[in-house]
Amino acid sequence: MSVRINKIMNSLDKAYSGPVCTVKEWDTKVIPRTIKAKLKEHGLEKTLDMENPINCDDELADRFFKAGYELALEMGLLCTDTERIIKITEQELQETLREYPEEIKFGRGKDQVVMRPRRPESTVEPIVCASLGIVVSEELYVPITEGLIKYPKLVDVLHGPTLATVYGKKIRSGTPYETLMGRYEAELRRQATYRAERPGIGHTGIAGAVTHYGHLGGAAFFPGEGNNTMSLCPVELKASMSNFHRIVMGINCGHNIRAGGFSYIGGYAGPAEGAVLANIATDLLLPVILQATYVSSYVYDLQLFGNCGRKAVWANSVSTQAVSRNTNIMRNKIVNETAGPMTEMFLYEAAVGLMNHCVSGSTKTTQPRSAGGRYTDYLTPMEAWWCGEVFKSCAGMTRKQANEIAKKILPKYEEKLPTPDKGYSVKECFDLDNMRPTPEYEALYHRVRNELIELGMPLDNVYCTK
Amino acid sequence: MKDQLFERLSNAIAEGEVDDAVSIVKEGLDAGIPPLEIMEKGGTKGLKLVSERFSEGTAYLPELILAGDSMTEILKLVLEALGDEAASERMGKVVIGQVKGDLHDIGKNVVSALLSVNGFEVYDLGVDVDPKDFVNKAEEVGASIIASSTLLTTSMPYQEDIITYLKDAKLRDKYYCVVGGGPVTPDWAEKIGADGYGRNATDAVELCKKIMASSKAPGQEIEAVDLGKA
Repeated sequence: MSVRINKIMNSLDKAYSGPVCTVKEWDTKVIPRTIKAKLKEHGLEKTLDMENPINCDDELADRFFKAGYELALEMGLLCTDTERIIKITEQELQETLREYPEEIKFGRGKDQVVMRPRRPESTVEPIVCASLGIVVSEELYVPITEGLIKYPKLVDVLHGPTLATVYGKKIRSGTPYETLMGRYEAELRRQATYRAERPGIGHTGIAGAVTHYGHLGGAAFFPGEGNNTMSLCPVELKASMSNFHRIVMGINCGHNIRAGGFSYIGGYAGPAEGAVLANIATDLLLPVILQATYVSSYVYDLQLFGNCGRKAVWANSVSTQAVSRNTNIMRNKIVNETAGPMTEMFLYEAAVGLMNHCVSGSTKTTQPRSAGGRYTDYLTPMEAWWCGEVFKSCAGMTRKQANEIAKKILPKYEEKLPTPDKGYSVKECFDLDNMRPTPEYEALYHRVRNELIELGMPLDNVYCTK
Repeated sequence: MKDQLFERLSNAIAEGEVDDAVSIVKEGLDAGIPPLEIMEKGGTKGLKLVSERFSEGTAYLPELILAGDSMTEILKLVLEALGDEAASERMGKVVIGQVKGDLHDIGKNVVSALLSVNGFEVYDLGVDVDPKDFVNKAEEVGASIIASSTLLTTSMPYQEDIITYLKDAKLRDKYYCVVGGGPVTPDWAEKIGADGYGRNATDAVELCKKIMASSKAPGQEIEAVDLGKA
């Protein structure tokens, strides 16, 4: 039995033998009360700094880390199927942190890239994965995906959009349609990688697998090291058997495991400070319990259903800095843009969010979430390229510089967050035959890019570092 | 004494102290305070308080859920005390759930809690709910509205399946079907023949109120509520 299988079975055993707790009790009492008490104990209440959205205070980040570390040990994850708590010991956590890999490889051959731990303000270039699961029409799937990965300097790993249909049929999650979609998506993605001349690019899959069925249907088509299985946990500090299904399949295929979970400001964890604590605890628990090779968890704002507002930017900055200053855990961090393609608002949202993640010590991002992923075909390669350019270029910036820029950009869009600009569909603003944005989109890109360069964002770095 | 009791009750509701709220209502009824006065000056005030705090970001989802729970328990006592007068006290019955294949329930939980604190009798079926289970529950409790939510495009077809099932079972004219969730749009609601769409939790509550106040039969016309765009 391999070490990975042994460890995941240990967690499964705990899911069937740990302390009993109902989901309702967990959500409405255990989580809020424990987090509230922990914030008070460490003097972290009301530390949210709306005037400085990107935290520059190392001591604050470290205090949050200490509290989040304690929270992880006190809480564990609740298994929603068995309603038992999967607890961990400090010895297990310390062992996981000690044995954590120094690097993680994505892809193979000339398309291989290596991810390494980053501290706040690190000059180490972070990794970009494209895209998030935005739904696209079947006939546009291959060209859009080809476009997403066209530039190796900007995008390193492929996650891919989500298919609207499978062979013209609606995909009903949790049914054989989804299982079939898993394989079909893998086939289309492979076509796209060949068209983009990047057959060895690392895959994260399956983008359309909203339950484990899609993943079970497609994961085997991306075999071996350098590919990744994604498993997102229910909110807050929970795991389900669906998570375990995916992870066991990922281990079977020899994948890296990318496990994650959301923490909501205004949700079960309470205020922004509570969401930070829950997020740190999630990052510490997932490598131990779900064998996460790297973690993909982030703070959202329940009121805005995104994370480009001031509170969420601050919360993500503190959480990322806390973990990256105190561990080597590598973290994929997402920006959930709410505006759509070819809007100034999208470019601003991505710029603030990705600059923040980069200077705070994230090692990877998966982008974009054009139009919040609400509309079919509202994704173009251009958004992914912009995100790659910003995220990679900001490596080496100081948090102070980034904070000053964020303070200038945020007022340009934050009032519109509840009603973001929808933007345009791919056919309206991108030429997929020639893989170029329309002249109007290109002009918008240059205008915003120049504006950000004038503000001090080093947007041409990406062309110098490789 | 009465004012103090009302204040204690509204605070207990807003703080999410369900047991305390129930005890205070029992105390008030035992003291002979009219049930409707307890509801109006204590219960409703508590709900207003927690809703305001949630909107301004000083109360969070757990308080909202527990306030809904308090309201459900309190209403049982009040309705019992009112006897036959009670029938008109609730806004209506809503069966709500996250459709099949979808485990993302935080948005649905907010809607569920807000509906409850706004006077609806809410039957929350949780996550990963089969279309038939929505209908069966609606039949069982005599609901007026079936509300389905999803964050996943691949679970959206199940919202349509609920309506199709109702039509095939010749039950469409019994239930208003409203839909919501991240990728759900007014166009989608119209396409599948839903009765309404709400962009967020607040809109969903306004939508349900609007539907209950309207004279239109289920399946006749779509209502889209998007206060953000107003």
